[in-house]
Amino acid sequence: MKKAIPLILSALMLFTLCPCSLADTPAVTVRDMTGHEITLEEPASRIVALTASDCEILYALGAGDLLVGRGEYCDYPMEVFEVPSVQSGYDTNIEQILALHPQVLIMSTMAQTEEQVAQLEAAGVRVVVSDAQDIAGVYTAIEMIGTLTGKTEEAAAVIDSMKTAFAEICDDAFTKGQTIYFEVSPLEWGLWTAGKGTFMNEVAEMMGLKNCFDDVDGWAEISEEQVLERNPDYIMTITMYYGEGPTPEEEILGRAGWKNVTAVRNGAILNLQDNELSRPAPRLAEGARMLYDFVDGFVNAAAAA
Amino acid sequence: MQRKDHLPTTAYIVMTALLGAALCLCVCIGSVNIPLADTLRVLRDVFSGTPQEEGLNASIILSVRLPRVLCVALSGAALSLAGAAMQGLLKNPLADGSTLGVSSGASLGAVISIAFGITFPSLPFAGTVVMAVLFAFLSLLLILSLAWKLDSSLSTNTIILIGVIFSMFVSSLMNIIITFSADRVQHITFWTMGSLQGSSYMNAGVLGAVLTICTSVLLSLAEELNAFAVGEENAAHIGVSVRRVKLTVLITVSVLIGVCVAIGGTISFVGLVTPHMVRMITGPNHRRLLPLSLFSGAIFLMLADLAARTLLSPRELPIGVVTSIVGAVVFIFIFYKTRKGR
Repeated sequence: MKKAIPLILSALMLFTLCPCSLADTPAVTVRDMTGHEITLEEPASRIVALTASDCEILYALGAGDLLVGRGEYCDYPMEVFEVPSVQSGYDTNIEQILALHPQVLIMSTMAQTEEQVAQLEAAGVRVVVSDAQDIAGVYTAIEMIGTLTGKTEEAAAVIDSMKTAFAEICDDAFTKGQTIYFEVSPLEWGLWTAGKGTFMNEVAEMMGLKNCFDDVDGWAEISEEQVLERNPDYIMTITMYYGEGPTPEEEILGRAGWKNVTAVRNGAILNLQDNELSRPAPRLAEGARMLYDFVDGFVNAAAAA
Repeated sequence: MQRKDHLPTTAYIVMTALLGAALCLCVCIGSVNIPLADTLRVLRDVFSGTPQEEGLNASIILSVRLPRVLCVALSGAALSLAGAAMQGLLKNPLADGSTLGVSSGASLGAVISIAFGITFPSLPFAGTVVMAVLFAFLSLLLILSLAWKLDSSLSTNTIILIGVIFSMFVSSLMNIIITFSADRVQHITFWTMGSLQGSSYMNAGVLGAVLTICTSVLLSLAEELNAFAVGEENAAHIGVSVRRVKLTVLITVSVLIGVCVAIGGTISFVGLVTPHMVRMITGPNHRRLLPLSLFSGAIFLMLADLAARTLLSPRELPIGVVTSIVGAVVFIFIFYKTRKGR
């Protein structure tokens, strides 16, 4: 009997511990990117994410199955298309979001109004703002979404792999002071470029390339003659190709008056059309690698010649 | 007596000189600073047929600036002429491509061609142009036949009212198309903002040819337009075939606007403001008004484009922003002056 007491006790302990440890999933607290503190009793299990980048982060953390709704422009990875879509940005529709019964709504500051947040909070939906402006901000966003979904380890792993990828690029940065021109919109619609304060600019600087238009803030329409004068060594366009007419690369190569531009003469034009370098998401590292390898190919060819 | 109300030859000489001066100014000044001597050398080589030395200056002047300035000048002339003709025909100072619904129709055509990827195999960007002109025509046809059904005299009020309603209808159609083609939203958005960047000599050639034909048609109708100014009934009484003239003018105007929209996007205020300014100098006689509007529209839009290209260099402003600001201020100033004088 004496022997039985510790057994019973330990059995009791086990009995009490088990449900206890299950019920005791720790409450999660995150500080979102506007500084608001949001506490949930348990990691979120029903999430609506309005921006494409936050959807990408959720899938990268293996938390894609927690998505019950997505913004209409979320397009990566392919699985995201199976999630019901809601209007986003300036057309954000509170009813559509509430109908999906999310616990948490992840959105950016872009088109968010105080009234919308108040309505959502009043209906019991916690609003978490994700608003990365640079790569460090992307890490913060990933960490925040990791905490929110109870995937802190996965978040750390994603951030680590991004950091490793960027570190490799930094270590082998180009040193010849070459320039790159980022084309956001083709000539037909007026040239738009990505200047200072964009992810493309940050990635270019990281690999030792100078953005031709780093004297311009954000995305801006610029003069065609300025591109000719600044004479970039490389051109990266993010124009989409729909399978008809010339490809974006061919279109740039064929432009009147551009044949003296170094990038055009060397055919050094890269088309990244899947938003690899325009979204605050884990794929920034892949995009940076693609751009690096592309430039590296030309640098090596020049060295061999 | 007939000759008296024509524009005097000296006026043509003065306007041509002003036009030439504006053209030179716009080719010499730009976002990139090219010394005047180099500009002149490049141009001299072109005119004397000397083979061009391959260089940055030649590329910028011959491939970027000159075709753009030409397109801008021709668009300005075309829009202004269209505005002057519309205002005369409809006896409405607010008549313009946009009030008629032709600009919106043309935009819809262009947006459809982008959204559904309508292109021609050999001419990559011709899809937008053809669709814009086609839709300008179709919207005109629709507006006119509706107006005809309601009121067979094609009265001014009916046409303007239908034009406004049609514009609204078209803009909602455009929003629907944008909603359903999420993957091309970026392209459509950029297109609707309008841009004269990337203008080519081919664009200028098309504009030039269209403008020449439409100008001669409209100038030949100047007398009839004058008659309209007195009133449709009076015009009919003195032997003007009201319907035929109306149809010809409306079709000509829709061609002018359709081509302009396809090449440069919608540029507001040129067609509205320049004819008014000209009218204050020449009076309402279309024999003087139409040719002078042609010149002033070209000069006005070239200068507006110069401002758009250079003010924020290396950035560019949408030309519509400049024309709207300048146009609205000038318009209010003149309006205020004339009203106060009464």
